[in-house]
Amino acid sequence: MSDLHWMTAAAAAQAIAARKLSPVELMTALLERIARLDPKLNVFVRLDGEAAMDAARAAEAEIATGRSRGPLHGVPVGIKDIIDVAGLPTTCHSKILIDNIAAADAVCVSRLRGAGAIVLGKLSTHEFAIGGPSFDLPWPPARNPWNSDHHPGGSSSGSGAGIAAGLFPLALGSDTGGSVRNPASACGIVGLKPTYGLVSRRGVFPLSFTLDHVGPMTRNVADNALMLDVIAGHDALDPGSAVAPAGHYASGLERGVRGLRIGFVRHFHETDLPAHPEVTAALENVARTLQGLGAEIRDIRLPTLGEFGAVNRVILQSEAWAIHGPWLRERPGDYGQLARRRLLAGAFMSAGDYVQAARRRLEMIAAVEGALREVDLLLCASAMDPPSRIDDAAETERTYPRQARTPFNVTGHPALAMMAGLSAGGLPLSVQFVGRYFGEGMLFQAARAWERAAGTDERHPPV
Amino acid sequence: MEKAIIELLARRAGLEKALAEFPDDVAAAAEQASGSVARMKAPADPRAEPWPPMRAGSGL
Repeated sequence: MSDLHWMTAAAAAQAIAARKLSPVELMTALLERIARLDPKLNVFVRLDGEAAMDAARAAEAEIATGRSRGPLHGVPVGIKDIIDVAGLPTTCHSKILIDNIAAADAVCVSRLRGAGAIVLGKLSTHEFAIGGPSFDLPWPPARNPWNSDHHPGGSSSGSGAGIAAGLFPLALGSDTGGSVRNPASACGIVGLKPTYGLVSRRGVFPLSFTLDHVGPMTRNVADNALMLDVIAGHDALDPGSAVAPAGHYASGLERGVRGLRIGFVRHFHETDLPAHPEVTAALENVARTLQGLGAEIRDIRLPTLGEFGAVNRVILQSEAWAIHGPWLRERPGDYGQLARRRLLAGAFMSAGDYVQAARRRLEMIAAVEGALREVDLLLCASAMDPPSRIDDAAETERTYPRQARTPFNVTGHPALAMMAGLSAGGLPLSVQFVGRYFGEGMLFQAARAWERAAGTDERHPPV
Repeated sequence: MEKAIIELLARRAGLEKALAEFPDDVAAAAEQASGSVARMKAPADPRAEPWPPMRAGSGL
């Protein structure tokens, strides 16, 4: 088989189960590609190639005897380095935790292994999942495979870059203010922030207890649904975990959007944070295309991005200060500057500010819930700009906050970002779909309709 | 935010070391915090409660 690196997880799993593809052959191809491309892309903090190859051999032997571990048997997966993998470091890309070895798998990793997936290694992140691309950390920042002079988004930067570059078909990311959807947007892949509580956070280093989500990152919508099926589920030991209805997220993928009512939140990118003209044009194209496929598009208003962003930051930085305060007092020099500045902000917020943000948050949830009683799902911008050059700190600082992802960390609604097209400069542009609580199935349905119409899953970076 | 107030708040938070080694970062963090708080609207209803802190699908 050729081009194994662009094979989807579903196709690989199917071929492996049918003994048309050896997991060893797939792993070999990916490890060769990683050896060739990773020195330029910096996707891995820790590649566990030997163990991954051993696991691929074991999978091959099991499948030869007719034993299937699950729907991802023999399929490689990358894990963001704030998520525990037993025996491997969880450094959070920081000097602070450089010697921290995980004793056990995070629940999401354990579920992936239970389905037969093979852990390839730990992936680059912004330090402690906050900040931006930094050059003052123990490892260099990941780079964008569409153009390695540009950033790949973050904080799940290695996850996004590695998926887009064909280094692995599946990755785990985390999302507190958009950290799955930012790299999905910048790298032209599919990234889902599920409903708050749908995926266990146990074994994931926290950034903000009430905003943290774990989500799947893939090259197409079907793989995302498949991965969510595996990692979703109640965890009695995660206090935020929800008792949610069963998944079967891929069951409605091909239903299309005929008759769906889609609320277009235009004010996000038209007036709140006026988007780059190419982003605006791409969003209009998505809306027009879905309308052409039979969806009803209507305008919806929500609170402004400025206010959502403020509530997100007050909650995030207050909760993060509770976690990082002791280290910031004793070892401020062991953080990179970007993370240090953002994490220190919590020291200057009062208990009253935090409670006020929590009260306002419930009003914002009510506003989004109200909108989702009028429509079936929302369509809006994800990033307002194509990804900037990674060496242009000022432009990265300017464009990183120009996004519409934080509202749905504040409210906990599921939100999916994916490619909306390519800029004239050949960089991904993005769109975001937002659904009702536990309505991931309908999100996938709409995202798949757009993917099928635009062929976004067939577009790969020139690497 | 005035420098003296930033320093007072930083010391109260136990950030003497950060203040000595990274005064610009401490000042930038303080400015960021006050900006975020200022941009937040107060809840419209004085009886609005902050609980539960986060629970999807709780029927709001």
